[in-house]
Amino acid sequence: MDKRKIFISPVTRIEGHANITIELDDNGNVSDALFHVNEFRGFEKFCEGRMYTEMPTITPRICGICPTSHTLASVKACEMIQGIQPTYTANLLRRLMHIGQNLSSHALSFFHLSSPDFLLGYDSDPAKRNILGIAEKFPDIAVRGIRLRKFGQELSERITGKKIHIMGIVPGGMAYPLTEENRKALLEWIPEAIETVQLGINIIKKFHEDNPEMVASFANSPTLYLGTVGPGGEHELYDGKLRFMDGDGIILQDQLDPAKYLDFIAERSVNWSYLKYPYYKPYGFDKGFYRVGPLARLNVCSRMKTPLAQEEFEKFKHMSGGKPVHGTFYYHYTRLIEALSDVEDAERILNDPEVTSLHIQHHGRWNYAEGIGSSEAPRGTLFHHYKTDETGKLLKVNLLIATGQNNPSMNRSVLEVAKQYVKGDDIKEGMLNRVESTIRCYDPCLSCSTHALGQMPMVIEVRDRKGELVKRVERN
Amino acid sequence: MNKIPVIIDDKSFEVDPHKTILEVCRELDIEILTMCHLKGLTDIGACRLCLVEVEGINKLLSACTTKVAANMVIKTQTERIKKYQRITTELFFADRNHVCAVCVSNGKCELQNLGYKVELDRIRYPHLFPQCEVDTSHPWYVMDHNRCIMCTRCVRVCNEVEGAHNWDVMNRGHQVRIISDFNTPWGESSTCTSCGKCLHACPTGAIWPKAIVQGQLEKNPGMVNELVERRKMKL
Repeated sequence: MDKRKIFISPVTRIEGHANITIELDDNGNVSDALFHVNEFRGFEKFCEGRMYTEMPTITPRICGICPTSHTLASVKACEMIQGIQPTYTANLLRRLMHIGQNLSSHALSFFHLSSPDFLLGYDSDPAKRNILGIAEKFPDIAVRGIRLRKFGQELSERITGKKIHIMGIVPGGMAYPLTEENRKALLEWIPEAIETVQLGINIIKKFHEDNPEMVASFANSPTLYLGTVGPGGEHELYDGKLRFMDGDGIILQDQLDPAKYLDFIAERSVNWSYLKYPYYKPYGFDKGFYRVGPLARLNVCSRMKTPLAQEEFEKFKHMSGGKPVHGTFYYHYTRLIEALSDVEDAERILNDPEVTSLHIQHHGRWNYAEGIGSSEAPRGTLFHHYKTDETGKLLKVNLLIATGQNNPSMNRSVLEVAKQYVKGDDIKEGMLNRVESTIRCYDPCLSCSTHALGQMPMVIEVRDRKGELVKRVERN
Repeated sequence: MNKIPVIIDDKSFEVDPHKTILEVCRELDIEILTMCHLKGLTDIGACRLCLVEVEGINKLLSACTTKVAANMVIKTQTERIKKYQRITTELFFADRNHVCAVCVSNGKCELQNLGYKVELDRIRYPHLFPQCEVDTSHPWYVMDHNRCIMCTRCVRVCNEVEGAHNWDVMNRGHQVRIISDFNTPWGESSTCTSCGKCLHACPTGAIWPKAIVQGQLEKNPGMVNELVERRKMKL
């Protein structure tokens, strides 16, 4: 069969670089779709030989969007190696910074990257379908979105002095305390931040109301879900245990120790992407696809920790009668419910009398040869796994990144949407944007997720002007 | 002691003889860049940053090892000197693997400060990217050869102040390395007293304590001269 291909390159308004290949059959119908991640990083390899205590400094450089999540997973792994726990105040400050990063990332994903689709329309002029187009037509929304991101970054800046690639989260706690002046300044942001998140929720809800068929049918196949929950099953981002849920809402495994992630997660490489394919081990590669991130976290958790977020969470749960919501489009909604929870939780922490305490660090030294840490990055569950020699030098590093865990589902979602919206003889720009936006729902961070080295076969395809394959060079 | 007349950067001064140009300039608040110099240790003129022009001598002289002489006319801020300082700094960065962003010494590094001083905005020479060892064998400290600039301040402080002579230098050219004892892992050294003076003397993030991470490093190189001066007082 003579296959024709459609390339979408690059995929726009995501963090990182990727292509999508859509294969058409003779009749112009979609036969397959592949999401290629063509970045290469190599962190797992070049960190070998370094001291484990350097990892909280090196790994945040993987990503400018979620450096705090990397630092937290990294310091937790270091703390496991040292056999120590952070102080109470250090945990509060870490939570604040993590909330700041989550809020900042969610604001970026919704207001900067995705809201142009909702407010300007999928079929609007691509040249204006961006944050600048929003600033032109809806200046108040653009400014609010940018300020929400600023608040998120200020939560880190007012503790450690830096907005991105923060320093100061150290094994055993924190290097810097929060001053009373900064605590008050951060509290002043809360009312505005809540208003902005609620504005975002109204935007997405209106889009749901205006486009019920699209939202309901947009890549909505059931998958498994993974997320971190607290001891009572409550929503949790910083520290907790893991919960796996199947597509019918049955809890497959609960209160799993993240340090034992290899017991329930395995990975496989493919020859057309630098992104690996993780899967739920008991179900095997074919049936073990699972999703992480805001949709997964809200699907698996039993309740939110804060009142306004809980109110919204109940509405979200009501949509599917308490069962998991599968529609990929609902990532946006759940992202905003999380953002609401973030702002409310930040207020709670900032009002904790211990938050400005100077008791911020416990001290330890190398005691164990292996450490595993996890945290919930904005895009989902993140694992750092280090093995060292008896001097603390790293022998092996494994980083299991949220976007990587969504990879199999992203591929399947792309195929579903491509089948729904792409017909070979009638390919419009807005149609391709819908395929792209499937990826954007997951808010993938490809810089984070492509860190593997030496395992990924590389394929180079040479094509003539007509797009016909001339030569294929394959390594491994 | 009789003072001698010298002219530095077109200004006349009466200075103490037997002092080096660097010592004289530091006393007069005339800035001269240095890296291998550390007050309290023997100067060796290795880093070539403190080069000055002396009238009547065609080649540049290192201020840390050249003594002042009567009627010497010295220039410290010429374009020629600045050009060589810039080249030297670029070669420091090109020679080993310096990544400030993830270095434990970031923000408190003499090499990084030097880069700012010479307005280093790019490196014109190809990076060598040598494979360098990170010696983590010592229970308290790390020696990262990626970040070493071969100033040998650790070697001299260990020999001259601590009296242990754990550190020394092996090989030549790009193969040159600081070694512990006869090139044994630092943790297996029979001479190291774990005093930590080399850590304070090190201008970069090459020697650092295991217990700290970026943002927590506090080095006190001035401690070396304080020790030397106190010992002189006892004598």
